Amino acid sequence: MRILRKLGFNLFTWILVLLVAFPLVWMILTSLKPQTELFRIPPTWLPETVTFEHYWRLLTETPFLIYFRNSVVLATTTTVFVVVLGAIGAYSLVRFAYRGRETLATLVLFTYLLPSVVLIIPLYLMMVELGLSNTLASLVLAHTTFALPYALWLLRSFMEGVPEDLESAALVDGASRMGAFRDVILPQLLPGIISTALFTFILSWNEYLYALVLVNSDAVRPLTTGVMTMLISAFNIEWSLLMAASVMMSLPLIVVFAFLQSYLTRGFGAGAVKG
Amino acid sequence: MAEVVLKDIRKEFGTFVALERLNVAINAGEFVALLGPSGCGKSTTLRMLAGLEFPTAGEISIDGRVVNDVAPGKRDIAMVFQSYALYPHMTVAQNIAYPLKKRGVARPERDAAVAKTAALLQLEPLLNRKPRQLSGGQQQRVALGRALVREPKVFLLDEPLSNLDAKLRSYMRAELIELHRRIGKTMVYVTHDQLEAMTMADRIAVMHDGRLQQFDEPEIIYNRPANRFVAGFIGTPSMNQLEGEISGSSFVIHGEQVPINRALYEDALQDGPVVLGIRPENVSLSGGSLPATVRLVENAGHEQIVTVEIPGGHRLLAREASGQRTSVGQTCQIGFDADFIHLFQPGENGSRFETTGQAHVIPMEAQRSASDES
Amino acid sequence: MAIAAHAGHRLERRYARLGVFLIAPTIVVFSLVIVYPLLAAIYLSVFSVYTPTLEGEFTGADNYIRLLTNAAFWNSLITTLIWTVGTLSLQIVFGVGMALLLHQNLWFRSLARSLVLFPYFVSTVVAVLVWRWLFNDLYGAINHGLMQLGIMDMPLDWLGTMPNAMIGVILVGAWKYFPFVVIAVLARLQTIPEHLYEAAKIDGAGPIARFFDVTLPQLRSVLVVIILLRAIWDFKEFDLIYLLTGGGPVTSTQTLSLLVYQEAFALNEMGQAAAYSIGMMLVMLVFMLVYIRRTAREA
Repeated sequence: MRILRKLGFNLFTWILVLLVAFPLVWMILTSLKPQTELFRIPPTWLPETVTFEHYWRLLTETPFLIYFRNSVVLATTTTVFVVVLGAIGAYSLVRFAYRGRETLATLVLFTYLLPSVVLIIPLYLMMVELGLSNTLASLVLAHTTFALPYALWLLRSFMEGVPEDLESAALVDGASRMGAFRDVILPQLLPGIISTALFTFILSWNEYLYALVLVNSDAVRPLTTGVMTMLISAFNIEWSLLMAASVMMSLPLIVVFAFLQSYLTRGFGAGAVKG
Repeated sequence: MAEVVLKDIRKEFGTFVALERLNVAINAGEFVALLGPSGCGKSTTLRMLAGLEFPTAGEISIDGRVVNDVAPGKRDIAMVFQSYALYPHMTVAQNIAYPLKKRGVARPERDAAVAKTAALLQLEPLLNRKPRQLSGGQQQRVALGRALVREPKVFLLDEPLSNLDAKLRSYMRAELIELHRRIGKTMVYVTHDQLEAMTMADRIAVMHDGRLQQFDEPEIIYNRPANRFVAGFIGTPSMNQLEGEISGSSFVIHGEQVPINRALYEDALQDGPVVLGIRPENVSLSGGSLPATVRLVENAGHEQIVTVEIPGGHRLLAREASGQRTSVGQTCQIGFDADFIHLFQPGENGSRFETTGQAHVIPMEAQRSASDES
Repeated sequence: MAIAAHAGHRLERRYARLGVFLIAPTIVVFSLVIVYPLLAAIYLSVFSVYTPTLEGEFTGADNYIRLLTNAAFWNSLITTLIWTVGTLSLQIVFGVGMALLLHQNLWFRSLARSLVLFPYFVSTVVAVLVWRWLFNDLYGAINHGLMQLGIMDMPLDWLGTMPNAMIGVILVGAWKYFPFVVIAVLARLQTIPEHLYEAAKIDGAGPIARFFDVTLPQLRSVLVVIILLRAIWDFKEFDLIYLLTGGGPVTSTQTLSLLVYQEAFALNEMGQAAAYSIGMMLVMLVFMLVYIRRTAREA
């Protein structure tokens, strides 16, 4: 009886889990089907013939690799910029006393919630003015608007988790404030920094709106808008190719999920959802 | 060896006054305990000595040098934290070497100093471990080692034993006393545990509500507490305190009279309301004049603590040798040893009427064994 | 804002100066990419700006008068509210339910958790492509799956007609964002002390009573935070809706974010778009302030 109930529960939960995961499974299956097999009625649930031709075409006949490179450059630059700024900013916000500190922290939280569409128009004008329109630099700056408040907020939480006594001990032992930061706080903060970096990278990697508005040539387009132009430009939508692109685009994420997932969950614990 | 002087220290956190008019002068080589309940300002005082907090007003000097504006690392002090604050990512050896490294001591000398300190504290087998692989007692010793290694002028210890279990605590207490005797450096020791303060310190600074209550040798703190707070805080069980009045050579409470030795007190004592303080060991359960009923008998093996109720509903504690046939409900006539009666000004923290003569000195050893159950 | 070192102690002042110095780069970047654009948006909203030439002329409150009197803003606001309430309720219900399931002793639990988490982290572009393929009226897996199961007998046009389009968008939104609720609730569930359940059991509470008397009260505070945060984020959602329906059919799924974009970059009315965005922000401000106050209280 007990085993039956356990079996029922597991079956029920796993069906739900698989339903949730189905779109992603479908994406992979579709990317492996030959184009002709897609337009069968009714559709084949499992591919009858498995082919990697779409992946090959994606890499050789489309600008996918350029988009991919742009996304890597964009997300990496944004992440490094924001995490460096965020780490020293969080140190200042948590461990120093000066007037305006609390107001600043509140402002960070406020900007963290701000809708992108409010900033997009002035940012667009600003980039035109600065001559930065249609460059990756403009996207890095634009991504800072959501990534920096986010990273600061997260790192601030992590910083609060580093015992204050450790820094005090380092100071008494002869370190300067910055020395204590380097010798003692940074090593303790490392898991938090990794977490924050992963989140920031994913946010930047997935961002669409700024890329849509600020960049319009294939040479600088990141994956998000790049792949969407492949959808629009094709006369006949090549779903297999698009699914292959989607899979490839999710590769970094799959790597993170396979090896670094604990950092993602940790980020959640430290981030906005303390309750 | 260095003396440490706190002069007119005031500390505010926003609108909260944490310390007020604090004056303490610690002699070179002295072991001083800052004692008080949590929130009394003792840790803040220590952190100001270390340079981790800044006094709102007043002057701190170490070895004759005013250090208000000197960074913690340049004050020539070492500190042991309640949490030990060992650097989790460094090995024991790296932890101990860190203060030397920050002072630019060369590698070979550093290694030699670490080895010497490790030998002193029996840490050699642990040198390559990380702090999380150590027991509480071992972590404590590493923290001590990190403080000792660079031979500072002054040691600051913030409740260093409070995270240890009772047995290890008494062992480490003895170790620290021994250590202080050997190196002879000035030590400032923060604790809320009166037993630690009484057994280890040359002098105790008792603090309460941000103010220094009394700063003196343990014997004097115990035998001549400056006020009701100190009287109640030092000694276990606490000193009994009864509100009543003086009339001639008696203390009157609820119409009952208790004889006092008026000659003991200086002229300041006049008829009128006072608070009488008497330690449990100076209360006898028979042969006195105050009628009482036994409410509770707690046998601790070598002695027993008896709670009695006197007219007016006040409860008193008395200490007697175990094996006495005292039982709950029994009535008796309790008496106070007149030589050990303390009288205080009325009021929440009334100060003590000074006494003259030898009356209040009892051997320190007796007190120590008496307060060992804490 | 006044950022200044405290007067008083010299060492303290030196530390305060260092603190200000360390936060300074952040302040500079913030001013440049957030504060300035925000002020510029307010400034722009009283101009009429033609996007291709960026020629502008001062029009005073005209844009705001149009915002108040034309139906566009209000219709979009209603659409936004329908979307937000719809997708948020699904997220909460599915999220809490799934969290409770995943908290139990499940076979291959960590794999199940990973699979459930994935949609949240996957790019919206990927999510939308997959779902558009799933929703495809001729060859889509959803229509055929439902037909094979006998639930429908005709393929449905999911994204091209109402109310299907709104339902589709809400469903995809729920699928994409409910893992956030799962993680947050799961984290909270793990901190509920076991002895609370033991005490409830001793008091004779069954599984359902234990859920309502122990679990739910413990989840209350985290749920409030989740609902606030998700409400804010769903309210400003752009990518998902824009990519799924583009606001269509006609304007039936055009939320405020899409309206702003449309006005600025399709109708080339930047000033009016800025006014819309300010209006939208004012509506959101209520939630934002509640959330900020709540967070500040906890800190």
